[in-house]
Amino acid sequence: MNDRRLLLFSLVRGLAAILLALAVATIFIFISSDEPLNALKYLLLGPVVSFKVSGNVFNTTSFLTILAAMIPTIFSGLAVCVMFSANQFNLGGEGAIMLGGFVGALLGIYLKLNTGLHQVVCVLAGALAGGLIMLIPAVLKVKLGASEMVTSLMMNYVVMFVILHFLNFVFADRSKGATQTFPFQETAKIPEIVANGTKLTWGFVIALIFVVIIALFMYRTKWGYAIRMIGINQSFAQYSGMQVGTVIILSQVIGGMLSGMGGSIEVLGRFNTFLWRELPGYGWLGITIAILAKNNPIFVPFAAFFIAYLNKGCDLMATYSDVPSEMIDIIQAAIFLFFAAEQFLAKYRQKIVVRNAQRDLALQESAASQGGKI
Amino acid sequence: MISDLLSSILNADFLYSVIRITAPILFAALGAVVAEKAGVTNIGLEGIMMISALFGVLFGYWTQSWFIGVVGAVVVGVLLALMIGFFAFKMKTDIVIGGIAVNMLGAGGTIFLLDMFTGMKGNTGSLVTRELLIPTVDIPLIKSIPFLGQVLSGHAVLTYLAFLLVWLIWVVLYKTPLGLNVRAVGENPNAATSIGVSVQKIKYIAIGISGALAGLGGAFMSMYYSQGWNSGMVAGRGFIALAATAMGRGEPVGTMLSSLLFGLAQALRTKVSGMQGVSSYLVSVIPYLVTIIGLVLYAISIKNKLKKRHPVAKGAE
Repeated sequence: MNDRRLLLFSLVRGLAAILLALAVATIFIFISSDEPLNALKYLLLGPVVSFKVSGNVFNTTSFLTILAAMIPTIFSGLAVCVMFSANQFNLGGEGAIMLGGFVGALLGIYLKLNTGLHQVVCVLAGALAGGLIMLIPAVLKVKLGASEMVTSLMMNYVVMFVILHFLNFVFADRSKGATQTFPFQETAKIPEIVANGTKLTWGFVIALIFVVIIALFMYRTKWGYAIRMIGINQSFAQYSGMQVGTVIILSQVIGGMLSGMGGSIEVLGRFNTFLWRELPGYGWLGITIAILAKNNPIFVPFAAFFIAYLNKGCDLMATYSDVPSEMIDIIQAAIFLFFAAEQFLAKYRQKIVVRNAQRDLALQESAASQGGKI
Repeated sequence: MISDLLSSILNADFLYSVIRITAPILFAALGAVVAEKAGVTNIGLEGIMMISALFGVLFGYWTQSWFIGVVGAVVVGVLLALMIGFFAFKMKTDIVIGGIAVNMLGAGGTIFLLDMFTGMKGNTGSLVTRELLIPTVDIPLIKSIPFLGQVLSGHAVLTYLAFLLVWLIWVVLYKTPLGLNVRAVGENPNAATSIGVSVQKIKYIAIGISGALAGLGGAFMSMYYSQGWNSGMVAGRGFIALAATAMGRGEPVGTMLSSLLFGLAQALRTKVSGMQGVSSYLVSVIPYLVTIIGLVLYAISIKNKLKKRHPVAKGAE
């Protein structure tokens, strides 16, 4: 009973934070736009409604593209969930995703395998690459105490420039005007669930499967327990005999593998050739998603949907009105600040806790006095 | 090729550019020093630099005065830092997340704000005229010394300020009551509270100062270094500053030296990428790689020091 009220409270609180963020966005839209209502219409409804003269109808294609946009961010969100749960502020998701995508792409171009096996090999190689690159900040943290945050941030740039070097000087398809690799073989591409051009590939299903796997891992295995315990109280975990160093490394390697996997699935599902010329940004989105999901893997798809919806809304708003799509960053920042604020609406939480305690006390007293009578 | 490289490095122009490139990193790194001393991790430096760089240009343009532009940038930097502080200290948002939020505002929010205020997309183009740039000064006596004059004289006002601040911040931290309080709060907040120091107040002051310094770094970038604001301008300098601080052991002078090292790496990158047969991408890696290597060396040195001090701990490992 008590728990249910607190759960309800945390839901209401999350909703309030999101509404507050959208309110901030609305204020900015009203300040900056000449047609604020039109802009708001596209931001909030545009992603799923197509506005026609004959009336407004649900836009299935657009809805499916939103689901498709969730594929890489579910992976990066899960990655951040695992790493942040262990209190490891590793911000290297960006680099791991790009590297995973690049490795997956290269194998998709140069390896000769049957379809089915080919995709599996590419994606696993991408995951491996992501996991290996995260080993660097993780090991430096555990062995030397170097801040994983700073090293992982620097790694992102190193990874990006090294990939750009190979993209430009080693693997470039010189027949094309733009800098890109040769096209992927058909056997390596990850097909759409229904071939309708929405890019909703089987990657979506794999992403959802990994949501379940990571949720089970975090809440039903010894390792997941250790990761969460280290995040809550590292000293306690250490004194109770957990191998803190190993678990910290493990959490970041898992984070890297998930990121790399997401990168390769995205590249092989969405494109015909490797086109990323800069860090793709999914790593940062993953942090927003993990914060919205409160580091709980089960909530990741919902948070990813919300972010993908907002992103699409901002794009549409930029296309059909005069508000730039970078609005998304302002909304995200506001969500960050309010959603992660423990003290946001804390007074009401306090009231609920006090009321529950008082009621429990009253119940105990009445039980005691009744007991006394008998 | 090596001799080409050497001759292009061992001259006054190159050393001049090292100092010039170091200045914005040094501003932000000194900001990180003050914050770290009070036990505050401000990873929002990157975003603060971006946003105050934009407002420096805007204020300068609106008032047609570079000085008010710089002041505006500093004020914006302080406000943003205090916002991080408010959410971190009062609302109990994790300070790393607060910093990331400001970095997001810096990345996309600035483009939005620029569009909102001026209708321009992605850069300030013609807003910055020659008169609105931060002026350079020649130092009277040093100017006429042959080699040294070319290296040290003729920098922007803010460049000198950056290096002056190294000394000033050292004085504030080690010779004033405020500095004592800041260090006390960073080292042992409970002890500081017990002697009547308001931990929150000191933390707000420290993060506010770090915002002001990052604001100066931002103004330097947009109003002198790249002569206008554009969306890719700060390019990780706020993060590099964090690394410089870690490598400089959180001390003003050490941080200045490591900032100079990063300045050298960046200047080298500019020099080398212009040469034949060198991949500009691989050269671009240098500053970031130097940062990681620097952090590793620093971490090893700390570890060795601890081992020397506590020989027992060595046996326990």
